[in-house]
Amino acid sequence: MTKDKRTGSPQSDAPGTDLKTERDEFLKKFSRGTQLTEDFLKEHERMQARLQDLESENAGLRAKVEADQAVRELMQKIDRLEQEKSELVSQYREAEAITTEFTARVQEVESEFANLANLFVASNQIHSSLSPRGVTRRIKEVLAQLVGAERYAMYLVNAEGEQLVPIASEGVPGSQLVPVRIEGTRIGDVLKKGSASVADSDPSQGTFQDPPAVIPLSVDDRVVGTIAIFSTLAQKNKFDQVDFELFKLLGQHAAQALVAASLFAQAEQKLPGLEAFLDLSV
Amino acid sequence: MAEYSCLIVEDSPMMRQLLVFALARVKNLRVTEADDGVDGLRKLASARYDIIVTDINMPIMDGLKLVKRVRTDPVHKDTPIVIITTEGSQEDRQRALQLGANAYITKPIQAPQVIATVKELLKIE
Repeated sequence: MTKDKRTGSPQSDAPGTDLKTERDEFLKKFSRGTQLTEDFLKEHERMQARLQDLESENAGLRAKVEADQAVRELMQKIDRLEQEKSELVSQYREAEAITTEFTARVQEVESEFANLANLFVASNQIHSSLSPRGVTRRIKEVLAQLVGAERYAMYLVNAEGEQLVPIASEGVPGSQLVPVRIEGTRIGDVLKKGSASVADSDPSQGTFQDPPAVIPLSVDDRVVGTIAIFSTLAQKNKFDQVDFELFKLLGQHAAQALVAASLFAQAEQKLPGLEAFLDLSV
Repeated sequence: MAEYSCLIVEDSPMMRQLLVFALARVKNLRVTEADDGVDGLRKLASARYDIIVTDINMPIMDGLKLVKRVRTDPVHKDTPIVIITTEGSQEDRQRALQLGANAYITKPIQAPQVIATVKELLKIE
């Protein structure tokens, strides 16, 4: 047994009061330290969990931002493409309008060409014969093939200037082929006025009494006859611009060709001598 | 570019001239003229044609007989034939189509119609 130096009392294994208090204090402190450590560890774990959550959230947000950026870029691209599309559509429409205009112009030119070809062929044919019969046949052909006339007659004024005498016809009954008075008739009026008379109505429905077209025939400014179209083919239900041009051409060339052919026939197909051309003063 | 040949069979010089003018507007189309069916057959025997344009009413040999003869010709039995008729001759038109004509044009002829019909049969743009 030992004595406590401080108290001098015999020493025992049991701790002294101070030590006990101190131990208790220490144990308390230790216990609190342990508690704090545990709390700290828990807090650490919680913080780590929170950090992970935040990192995860951050990653999600970053991904979202990136996705939003991609969407924005896509939207911008779509806008650009829409604009390009709009420009292309606009250019296409412009090109289409030009093409339509060009096609219309080509058709117009083709139509004009066809009309000119008709006029050229008609003129060429009328003057391609020097026999009265040949000229008459060609005039009839122009009327039938180019104008589309079905029933028609060609008249020349008689020497007295009172009547128009039929010299050629097609589809007209013999009973109708009689001289026509100049006074008081539509055919005679055209001869007197020297200008064509063309009705607006359907020419295929024309009659002998009311011919849809009457054309004056001139020789050197003198009106010497007429062509009366009594009706046209069924499919020819109106006169076109080219028909009016053909009427003019017939008016100016038909009688001249006929007169020239008649004179040539009267001269027994003899060409005039050179002397006939020497005093032309041109 | 392919070159095509066309035979026009028409007794009227005026109509022939008009058809020649019209068909001159078709690129790479060479046109030969015949006065009537007999002349047409003669020309068909001496050369190969890609298309035939013929009138119906012609002296010596009319268009119907020509169509019939062409369809028995081994060289031209499949050659497209365009007939030219008047509105009144509907029977002739029907007969020609039955005999093997491929298309018809009604008088008075219009150049754009002739061009369009020939181009369509030759499959030219």
